[in-house]
Amino acid sequence: MVHLSSFLLKTYHGGHIVIRLAMAGHKQSNRPFYRIVAAYNKRARDSKYIEQLGSYDPLPNIYNEKLVSINSDGIKYWMGCGAHPTKPVAKLLGLAGFFPLHPMTVTETERHRALAELAEEAAPEDGVKQQQL
Amino acid sequence: LSLMALRLRLKNSFCHSFDAPVLTSSISEVINLFLGSPDAHVKPQFLDSEVQDILTRITGLNLEKVFRPIKQELKPPKYKLMTDAQLEEATQSAREQAQRLLKMPPVLPERKPINDVLSEDKILEGMDTAKYVFTDITFNIPHRERFIVIREPTGTLRKASWEERDRILQVYFPKEGRRLTAPPVFKEENLKVVFGQDRHEDMLDLCQVQFEPDSSEYIRVHAATYEDLEKMGKYDLLRSTRHFGGLVWYLVNARRVDGLMIDMLQKDLLQDAVSLVGLFNKVHPHSETAQEASSQQAYGLDLLKIYAKRESQRAGYVELALQAYEQTSAESTV
Repeated sequence: MVHLSSFLLKTYHGGHIVIRLAMAGHKQSNRPFYRIVAAYNKRARDSKYIEQLGSYDPLPNIYNEKLVSINSDGIKYWMGCGAHPTKPVAKLLGLAGFFPLHPMTVTETERHRALAELAEEAAPEDGVKQQQL
Repeated sequence: LSLMALRLRLKNSFCHSFDAPVLTSSISEVINLFLGSPDAHVKPQFLDSEVQDILTRITGLNLEKVFRPIKQELKPPKYKLMTDAQLEEATQSAREQAQRLLKMPPVLPERKPINDVLSEDKILEGMDTAKYVFTDITFNIPHRERFIVIREPTGTLRKASWEERDRILQVYFPKEGRRLTAPPVFKEENLKVVFGQDRHEDMLDLCQVQFEPDSSEYIRVHAATYEDLEKMGKYDLLRSTRHFGGLVWYLVNARRVDGLMIDMLQKDLLQDAVSLVGLFNKVHPHSETAQEASSQQAYGLDLLKIYAKRESQRAGYVELALQAYEQTSAESTV
C-alpha cells in the first residue's frame, strides 16, 4: 500500500507517520501514563517522536476523572500531512467528540454490558446456594 | 433586548484578559449613544473611566505603605549618590510604579453556570465507571474559550462546569500561587480568625490569586471581608492598597457609606468625602441626595450637608464632624 504521507512530507523516511499512544512512565511499574504523539511508524513505541500532541492518564483521580489533553491544532495539522491515528487514539478522539464515534467503542460497551449481566445472574445464584448450604 | 446583548458583548470582551488597560470612553456613554435619548439612565459600571477616577482619588497614594517591605530574597541594600533633580525623577518614577501596583482588580457579576450538553449517546452507557475529561491544549486560545468537555459513564458528552474548568486549567496551565483545591482559610470560621488578626489585605490578595473574579467564592470572600471591615470601622487597613476601590464600590451599592464618611471626616480628608458623595449621587441618581444636589447645583461642603440631612442614618455624627472641620479651618485661616 502506498502511503499518502510520503508524497506530502518533504523527506522520505521509509514509513508513514502515525498518531499513537506512547508510554511515558519511565519504567515505573503499575503506574501507566500515555502521551499522544506523532511519530514515524517504524520507531519503537516509547522512543523519539516528532511532536507531542497530548496526554492520557488511564487511572482515575480523586474526582473519578480520567484526564485526556488534546492539541486539536496539532492533530489537524498532522492529519493534514497524512498521519494515521491508531485504534486507541481513534477511540479516545471519538469519545471526545473530535472524531465520530468509533464502532468498536459501541461493540465493547455491548460486550461489557453482557458480561456484567452474566455476572449479576451468577452472583444471586451463588447467594441462594450459600443460604441453602 | 438589544441593549442587554450589547452590554453582554462589551462585558465579555473584558473577561478575556484582566490586564487590558481601562477604556478611555465609558461603557454607559456608548450605551447612551445607542439609546438615543440622553435622559435615559444607565447604571454606571465599576470600569467606567469616571468611576475609576473617583475611586483612584479616594484610594490615596501613600508611598510608604505601597512599598513597605514584603517577604523577598535578602539582598544587601544599594546606595546611590543623587542630585536633587535626580531624586525628583526617582520619586516620580516610584509614584508611577505605585500607581501601576494600585491598579484595581475588576468587579464583575457572578458567572452563570454552564449546563451545555453536546450529545446524548445512550449506546455508550455502562462503558466505564470513570468520567473522561477532554481538554484542548492548543496554545493560542484564551482560557475562557477553551473546550473542556466531559464524557460521563452514562454516555452524555457535556461541557465542564466553572469549578471543574478552573481546576483542570490549573492542571494544564498552572498559575503561580494558585492551588488545585482552595485552601481551608476561605471557610467562614477560619476567615473570622484571620480578620481578628487584622490581615484583611493578605486575605484579599490570596483570594485574588486563587479564584476567578466572577466566581461565587471570590464574591463571597470579598463580601465577607468588606462586611467585617465596615463593622469594625477599620477602613485604614485598605486605604493605600488596590482593594480600596472595591470596598468603596461595595458600600456605595449597598448604600451604607456612613461609617466611611465619618472616618474620612475624622482624618480631615474633605476632598475624598466630597468625591464619595459625588460617586454616590452618580450611582443612585434617583435618591433624595442626588435629586436635591442636582436641583441646587451644590459643590463641596454643601454636598456633604445635603447628604448628612437626607441619606445618612447617623446624621448627628456627620453634622458634628462637619462643624468641627469648619471650626478648625476657620481657626487655621484666622
